[in-house]
Amino acid sequence: MELFLNRISDGLSNGATYALIAMALVMIFKATTLINFAQGEFAMFGGFIALVLATERGLPMWIAVVGAMAITAVLAAGFERTLIRPFDPSDHLPLVIITLGLFLGINALAGIIWRFDPRAFPELFPSGNALTWNTVTLSWYTIGTIVTVAVVAGGLTLLLNTTKIGLAFRAVSSNLESSELAGIKVGPTLQFGWAIAAAVGTLGVCVFVASPFRQLEPNVMVTGLIFAVSAAALGGLDSLGGAIAGGLAIGLVQSIGVPYLGIPSELSLLAAVAVLMLVLLFKPSGLFGTPQVERV
Amino acid sequence: MATTSPKFLFTEGTNRYRAYKIAGFALLALLILIVAFAYNDTGSITLFDNSYKLSITRVTKSISFMVAILGLQVVAGFTGQLSLGQGFFFGTGAYISAWLVADQNWAWFTSLIVVVPVCFVFGLVAGIPALRIRGLYLALVTLGLAAIFPSLIKLDFLLPYTGGAAGKTVDSDFIPPSWLPLDGMINALHSLPLIGQYFGDGEGMSNKEEQRVWTFFMMVILALICFKLVSNLIKSRPGRAIRAVRDNETSAAVNGMSLSFHKTMSFGVASALGGVGGMIYVSELGIASEGDFTQLISILFIVGMVVGGVGTLSGAAIGGLVIAFIPDWASSTQNLPGIPERWLQGPTGGLILGIGLIVITFVLPGGVISGVRKIRGRFVEVLPKTPAIQLAGAGAAVSADESDIPNDSLGSESPDLSTTVDES
Repeated sequence: MELFLNRISDGLSNGATYALIAMALVMIFKATTLINFAQGEFAMFGGFIALVLATERGLPMWIAVVGAMAITAVLAAGFERTLIRPFDPSDHLPLVIITLGLFLGINALAGIIWRFDPRAFPELFPSGNALTWNTVTLSWYTIGTIVTVAVVAGGLTLLLNTTKIGLAFRAVSSNLESSELAGIKVGPTLQFGWAIAAAVGTLGVCVFVASPFRQLEPNVMVTGLIFAVSAAALGGLDSLGGAIAGGLAIGLVQSIGVPYLGIPSELSLLAAVAVLMLVLLFKPSGLFGTPQVERV
Repeated sequence: MATTSPKFLFTEGTNRYRAYKIAGFALLALLILIVAFAYNDTGSITLFDNSYKLSITRVTKSISFMVAILGLQVVAGFTGQLSLGQGFFFGTGAYISAWLVADQNWAWFTSLIVVVPVCFVFGLVAGIPALRIRGLYLALVTLGLAAIFPSLIKLDFLLPYTGGAAGKTVDSDFIPPSWLPLDGMINALHSLPLIGQYFGDGEGMSNKEEQRVWTFFMMVILALICFKLVSNLIKSRPGRAIRAVRDNETSAAVNGMSLSFHKTMSFGVASALGGVGGMIYVSELGIASEGDFTQLISILFIVGMVVGGVGTLSGAAIGGLVIAFIPDWASSTQNLPGIPERWLQGPTGGLILGIGLIVITFVLPGGVISGVRKIRGRFVEVLPKTPAIQLAGAGAAVSADESDIPNDSLGSESPDLSTTVDES
């Protein structure tokens, strides 16, 4: 029982970080029905920027993280303007290829600048345990990740529901052509989506590697992206709440399902991919997504 | 052809066209011979103090990529199913043939008897999601498939077969048959005036070199067979069907094509080719290790396909060369004037490929091949075979030997043809 509770706590903290990256994917998918394969790499790059700001510029850690979020947001907005917008948004193949090119390029660039040796990331949350009951522990890290997800989710909800650009974003994601006719500038709105997504993803990676058991290196998000994608697909690719639910579910499957079913730990990725495949096969809209209707 | 008229015109079915084709194949054969014998293993080009190796083993490695990309062309280029999982089948083929050759003492080529059907069946199974999942979602699922391959081969019950994290070493070479005078061939080339110095040292080849050349020849032949088979497939009825599926699924279904059959079959064919590529890869490298078959290799195959040209066969060949040589040459570039050294150490190859992929998508969406075709189109134009039915008139008997029909009677219909009157 105690082990079980500990595993739930592990699963929640993993799941919370998957949820953050999944939310970033969902932001872009909502607006453009595109999956940004480079999302994890944007976020990894942001993590390195935060590390550099904190260790080389001596900024306090949280300020460094916010600074990195701002920098990656600007970079992502620039990528959207120069690399994504020139293409027809309904033709996915060139866009997917562009994001794959960004994936390769950013991963290699980080490898060139920062090398592949793992680096310790300063802790964002107090170390130690908040609660201890027999052998059951609930670390500040777990609480911190969950609070971060809640804050991000709340902030995004406020941003989308109370601001003018948020309204424009919801209009564009609901119907691109009509919102264009209604006078909304579609390009900058989508750019805004990309920027927000990159910022949320950066926060996700910072929280992910702030765990005392993880380190930052350029390949940190290569498999993390797969978990996040499964989380987003499980929750429904166009639902922010679904991304959180999906992320937590994938995290729990990984930390509870995998050891109890006797599956070796390397296969937690397999579990995530199996979830992804089953969801897309039997309920392509996910748990909370809008079903796609196709007109012939 | 709109701006300048090509200098050389060929009409399909004429002797001149045949000569043109034969000249093309002769050039290819000559190129293969030169690659096989020139420099052999020691060859390198030195530029700014960097030596770029041109060794034949790398060319053989690129052949393995070519065959895998060829498979990707079938499923993604011709059927329109974006699959990021080709690395899974590449790895599967590599491990199966490594196991058969190392532990069961099979020969490399006989291992294909197992590799091809197994990968084909795996591909059919992997193609099943493609029946319901489309476009981006399919890319996601197949990327997941590629990502789990390294963890799959570390499973406990597979360890005796795969060697786990240490990799599967195979110590089996291609021994050239004794009747093949490889030594004599290279010595003959060496004695040529002017260019002879590039071919060996006049003292024949060591055993190792002979094996490399022989492996290269075998793999070239295998790859040519694969290319020929795919080219026939694409031109035949199922090939037209899969292209119809790519261009418009609804209209293909309305016209009686079974979408599920053609999609799963093209996944099967693509995966079988991926397996063949894997076998070539491991036979050249001598070791199958999990680090080579991550999702990165699947993404590199996509890079190769796009850079070469989506939906073209020769694009697969170019793509294979690109993804084999660019990372390699990038890592041997250690100093370049104007660029700080620290930028040249590390994964510069990945950076170049990533940027190259984006640039190609912008500048040459049809890949390198479309550029080559555009340039070639300014010099050479191939006209389709004159349809005999037009000459004979409706209902009239069609001459069996169409190439004998003079072209000039068509002069009024097609102004381009009037220049070809002199031949035929």
